[in-house]
Amino acid sequence: MFEMPEIDLQTTDGEIAVINLESARRRSWSRFFQAPLRDGVAEAVVEHEQLTSQFVGDISALDRIEFLAAELVQADAASARTALIQAKTASMMHRFDDARLFLARAETGGASTDDVQHLLLNIDQACGANLHKVLGARRQIANRYNRVADLVALGSLLADMQDWDDADKTFRLALSGYQDVSPFPLAWVCFQLGVLWGELVAEPKRTRAAGWYQKAIDVLPSYVKARVHLAEIYLSEGRLRDAEALLRPIVAIGDPEVNWRLADVLSAQGKFDDAEVQMESARTGFEFLLDRHLLAFADHGAEFYAGSGNDCHRALHLARINVANRPTRRAFEQAYDIANSAGNTAVASELLSASRKGVGHAVDAETSMNNYEGATV
Amino acid sequence: MSDHIDGPRQIGDPSADLTDLFAFTSPANPTRTVLAANVFPTCGQNAIFSNAITHSIVVRRAKVAGLGDSTKFATSDPEIRFSFRFDTLERALPDQKPLQRGTCTLPDGQTLRFIVNDEHGASTPDGTFRVFAGLRSDPFILAWIVSAMRPFQNLLLNDNVLCIAIEFDTRRVLDPDKGSLFGAIAETVPLTRRGEFVGSQPPRLDWVGRPEQTNVRLNCPFLGDDVDDLRDLWNQQVPFAIADELRPLFLQRLKDSLAAYDMRDGRQDWAPAALTANANMFLDDFLLFDVAKPITDTSHLEIEKSTLNGHAYETGGGRTVDADVIDVLLTWMVNRDREPLRGGTTKATKPGTKNFPYFATPNTDLQSVTDRVNLNAAPDRVWELIGQFGGSWHPLIASIKLTGTGIGQLRIIETIDGKQIIERLEAIDNSARLYRYTNIAGIPASDYTGVLEVKPNGAGSTVEWRAQYLGNGQGDLIVKTIVSTLFKTGLESLKSRF
Repeated sequence: MFEMPEIDLQTTDGEIAVINLESARRRSWSRFFQAPLRDGVAEAVVEHEQLTSQFVGDISALDRIEFLAAELVQADAASARTALIQAKTASMMHRFDDARLFLARAETGGASTDDVQHLLLNIDQACGANLHKVLGARRQIANRYNRVADLVALGSLLADMQDWDDADKTFRLALSGYQDVSPFPLAWVCFQLGVLWGELVAEPKRTRAAGWYQKAIDVLPSYVKARVHLAEIYLSEGRLRDAEALLRPIVAIGDPEVNWRLADVLSAQGKFDDAEVQMESARTGFEFLLDRHLLAFADHGAEFYAGSGNDCHRALHLARINVANRPTRRAFEQAYDIANSAGNTAVASELLSASRKGVGHAVDAETSMNNYEGATV
Repeated sequence: MSDHIDGPRQIGDPSADLTDLFAFTSPANPTRTVLAANVFPTCGQNAIFSNAITHSIVVRRAKVAGLGDSTKFATSDPEIRFSFRFDTLERALPDQKPLQRGTCTLPDGQTLRFIVNDEHGASTPDGTFRVFAGLRSDPFILAWIVSAMRPFQNLLLNDNVLCIAIEFDTRRVLDPDKGSLFGAIAETVPLTRRGEFVGSQPPRLDWVGRPEQTNVRLNCPFLGDDVDDLRDLWNQQVPFAIADELRPLFLQRLKDSLAAYDMRDGRQDWAPAALTANANMFLDDFLLFDVAKPITDTSHLEIEKSTLNGHAYETGGGRTVDADVIDVLLTWMVNRDREPLRGGTTKATKPGTKNFPYFATPNTDLQSVTDRVNLNAAPDRVWELIGQFGGSWHPLIASIKLTGTGIGQLRIIETIDGKQIIERLEAIDNSARLYRYTNIAGIPASDYTGVLEVKPNGAGSTVEWRAQYLGNGQGDLIVKTIVSTLFKTGLESLKSRF
């Protein structure tokens, strides 16, 4: 039987860390408005907004980063630094083609090779491109620096490539080597372990996943993604009150995924009127996000509409947009599954054929979908 | 900068990042000494101390153990240690602003509880010790682009830091009759982990002695990109006891760095033996202060410099809140005090205060408002209408009266609802089609700067109007509404004119 390891680290209280992040985020914007072109100032804003988006679930962070990039273009459109920040911004919005163009411009303009290569690795990994090459580079970087961010990136890639044990080992290495007091990296690793065991492995182990999500929340109570994922597990186990208790405190954040999962929980409790209110908020919220950042939210939107959003055509449309943008194994699986659920076998076989033609890491995708094919078609 | 963000590892939890250490005689009472350390560079307005870190200031008795090229300062036990720990947040009611308490453990083992941001701090019953912890204006002056050795405005303008300060009776605590020279460091260390071997030392997050050991001397910008970043390795050293096996590595880096600074003005002021002595001095990194001699705004590094020059020192060295340490340091490293080097300013955002806790109140954040309109008219045509500082084109303005001419002239604006706004012209560039002005009165904000600019946009133009100001907390929304309305109404009115 699996036993959750004791995490023997005292980190800064999650509430304090989030207040400090918000304080520093606001200050970095002030510094940016004072001197947008000063070294490190725009980069600090991007870093703070990324953290705010990732750990606080503030979806307006994307709009703010987009605004920052636009301001930088106004101030200094031609510089390599602006191009690099535009590339980072585009990558965060999942506009990977744009990101590559900006990156090429940054490189031509003299941006540091390390910065360019680092972002290129992220883009390739997110798009499922050149994965074996990315893996080699990720291993090299992780071995050299042994930093949490590098180990998490390697672990995520190993998980994408279905090397579950190695992924688990890598995430644990990140945990055991952690020597700082910031709760963010620690919560991040625990969350990744939750996703690994709850969603990525061939036979999900929900109890183990729930343990990791809970640890992430213990370290960082505001961690919206961890709360949502744990609530999903609780919902599947019929622990409706626990699921509701996880979601209620974060409804105000404005992430439609929270409204969606809460709607499901309320519905399971027979509170249909309340559930409908949450579902409407989820629908409006997703459409608002899709309107502003289609590529960033296409996979989430597809998942919503394929689930209790209850619009399989919209789901398939979004899933195909996602596949076209980032042809990863998971994107193919999602689209293929939705096509089959929608009874659209023509699209399903088109997706299968596309994956066989070597789009992304098609070999992995094909193997996986052949398994799906046997089960569902 | 000082020790601000002084290594890749520090980027983890910024509240562990020590920026500066201070040691000075209390301006309010010369029989008392103040030690202070700051953490969390550019932390904004609401920053709070980490509850997972012990913040300590440690003092050891020191003595001059060598002069001139043999300069050496030796320190000895026992340590005089002040340690600060902080609690998680408290709230009387869920929506109330959180409160944080902390505990200072004094050298004799007594503990003193205090409330963060309480300017009165807390004192021991006999008045020997008084402590403070809270948000303050960052007193550091970084008025240089060091990598280009170019004077610049203070790069830390309006920044805040989290400050811990302790004031004590000098005679009772330091017993200067046994020797009045001391070395001090500050360090941040994670709280001891559960279940760890008793007595094992937790890893150190950061420490600081003299200013700029890490960011200027160990991470010298003039040594190129290929040299290893030694800052994290340095931060993990035990203060007062740098590992013997690593001393040659750090010494060589200091020598390379000091040699590079020496040649920034194209002239060699440091003979090799003196440069080595200087590097050896900096390798023993603690802030020297002598409580029997005057510690002033200009006495920083005087103990070290005089000793290296072969004389007895005359001041108490140390570091006051207002000491311009970067100018002192660069002058010493680049030309060995042949001529003073001055940054773009010698003033911090706010000067230190004469009373406890001696560090100025925190700065409020700069707010900004920007609006734009695209017009179907050439930029010159648009500028002709709006480019006069006293021009009357805005529908919310009833009248404008100009006082004076050129830069510095004032415009007194009467709005249509009877309000008066007074603004000063700071700069105008007709070829770039922009002017910059500051608000003197009428808008409830400080440090208000506005810029009106016309830019080409295809065959037409874009008018951009932007303003920045330091908000005063509660009134921010009102100011933002006033300024946004002023901008939007004015810019929209231009559409019908072109």
